[in-house]
Amino acid sequence: MPRYAMTIDLSRCMGCRACMEACKVENATPEAHFWMYVFRFEEGEYPNTRLSYLPRPCQHCDNAPCVKVCPVGARYKREDGFVLTDFQRCIGCRYCEVACPYGVNYFHWKEPRKAQYVDWGQDQGTRQRAAGQSPPWRKPEHEQRHGSERRLTVGAVHVKGVMGKCTFCVQRVEKGLEPACVANCPVRVFEFGDLDDPESPVSRRLKQSPHFRLLEEVGTQPRVFYLNGAPPSAETRQFYPVKGGKGA
Amino acid sequence: MTTRASALPYGVGRIGRGAVALMVLLLLVAAVGVIAYVHQFRQGLIVTGLRDWGTLGGAPWGVYIAFDVYFVGVSFAGITVAALIRLLNLQHLRPISRMAELLTIVSLMLAGVTILADLGQPLRGIVNLFRYARPQSPFFGTFSLVISGYLFASLVYFYLAGRRDAYLMAQQPSPLRGFYRLWAAGYRDTPAQRRRHERVSFWLALGIIPLLITAHSTLGLVFGLMSGRPGWFSALQAPGFVVMAGLSGIGHIAVLAAIYRRFLPGGERIDRLVFRWLGMFLLILGLTYVYFTLMELLTTGYAGTHKEQELARLLLLGRYAPYFWVAMGALALAIALNAWQAFTGRWSIALVVASGVLVNITAIGKRLLIVTPSLTHGALLPYEPGAYVPTWVEVAIILGLMAFGALAILLFGKVFPIIELAPETERERKEALA
Repeated sequence: MPRYAMTIDLSRCMGCRACMEACKVENATPEAHFWMYVFRFEEGEYPNTRLSYLPRPCQHCDNAPCVKVCPVGARYKREDGFVLTDFQRCIGCRYCEVACPYGVNYFHWKEPRKAQYVDWGQDQGTRQRAAGQSPPWRKPEHEQRHGSERRLTVGAVHVKGVMGKCTFCVQRVEKGLEPACVANCPVRVFEFGDLDDPESPVSRRLKQSPHFRLLEEVGTQPRVFYLNGAPPSAETRQFYPVKGGKGA
Repeated sequence: MTTRASALPYGVGRIGRGAVALMVLLLLVAAVGVIAYVHQFRQGLIVTGLRDWGTLGGAPWGVYIAFDVYFVGVSFAGITVAALIRLLNLQHLRPISRMAELLTIVSLMLAGVTILADLGQPLRGIVNLFRYARPQSPFFGTFSLVISGYLFASLVYFYLAGRRDAYLMAQQPSPLRGFYRLWAAGYRDTPAQRRRHERVSFWLALGIIPLLITAHSTLGLVFGLMSGRPGWFSALQAPGFVVMAGLSGIGHIAVLAAIYRRFLPGGERIDRLVFRWLGMFLLILGLTYVYFTLMELLTTGYAGTHKEQELARLLLLGRYAPYFWVAMGALALAIALNAWQAFTGRWSIALVVASGVLVNITAIGKRLLIVTPSLTHGALLPYEPGAYVPTWVEVAIILGLMAFGALAILLFGKVFPIIELAPETERERKEALA
């Protein structure tokens, strides 16, 4: 059984947010849901300011607070490391969201009406360019059962009143592909692979570079490792945060 | 209404014009709550002021959770008072035992419904919270344990404690006679039955107390175990919740007892001594809570992390300061009122009732302050601070639930004596029967 993990090389990230875009397209997340989010940070006073970027997927923690607090076991941890949400069992209490210190959970406050990040049906320009051929946004593989547990997971299946979050693109990984954010990064910030395989890209990068895990002091034991950088400090400020809109 | 029914004690079976008007008003408020809930059920929780924390800058929990905690807290009083009467033989409190038990049952039901109002998938919640119940989740305590254990035990206790009165009531001709017979279920108040009854009630009361402490503590653990949430992560949460539950519950009982004393025929049985006891309880619990709050602030201020100190500043001086100081000011005033009465030895019903209202203002304020600030301003990563303002839907649902609770208590008093029948009445009745 592999032990999946992700590395994020902070020295490479330039904050382009292409990973956020790729995630949205792959998982068809509703408006204002950012399963992958890239912080743009600034520190110090002008002119001595320093910019940095920090991508924030779900950390797929080994000691996941969200899994521990779920009253019905809808949020579960797989043996290979994925932390997933069973959308047919979730009752929408949002305890996982409250317990998670990373802010990666996005609740479906309403029935997602817009089919995708870009609403192909309503946006006239897009409709013209697509010549009436709306690309499919519902992907059959999202609605299948995954892993040895054969359980469902929220991933492009967006139902009112349940929780959703980054799945490490389980539907892609099980087909031997990389998660969408990993595959689409123009400067190869991310690596994804098996920690138990010494030749996997993640194992090699972890051997080569100094690394830290986000909010490790909280005891969550994340599966995401940040390379060549430092965690945000009390002086770190965010600039250009995404606009949340009214929520969805 | 009829002459026959009017013979029943404590206004049972009599509905005056004032009561009808009050019921209509309560029904209207409850109906608005139902309309609001139907709206929320159809549209989703988007109609509330709740939103994701983090990039969306909101609070995923708000007044629903705060009032769920509040309702469970109020339930504390009933069974505690009943258990104290049984275990410590505090006979003075006997006249308020039934209304206290009723308050427990009604507020626990309200708590259960409030949780359902908060769920994104309420229908699934009813099934899955039992089907897939995980005791590892602190949430288990607030719903599965409270509803299936605490409420059930309280109902059994309530039923058993009412059997004697049901038997006595069934001796009189009234339209409700069948109902009383059903409740009495063969109980005839013989010495042997009475002894058995006393014994069962004693052990049940003894059994309910650990259940009660557990239920109120798990509610505190819902917040206290969250290591990633500054302002929540504290070993004091659970005991603090138990004490605050006691305060709000006893405060409610004081108000309820005063209303019945004033308006119920025969309500004078709730004498001044009852209010003295309630005032003393409020004083002790209030002082304990102030002590807990001071310890919490001291620990945070002296040794808290950067984020915890920031939150404490927000509470004491910042955006949430008005709520904090109103809540703590109300508590201080309640303590002062009761301390003064204890000091002079003269207890006024009006002042005890006033302190009961004040501690409930504290309870609601503190519940909101526990739930919200840590969500809007407690992020450990540098997200923008959030905001939360409840919408009319949330307010209407909570007011509707309260109206429903008041209606249930009012209606119960019309079909069953809200004060335990006194032993004298029983003797008189036996003589009359003989």
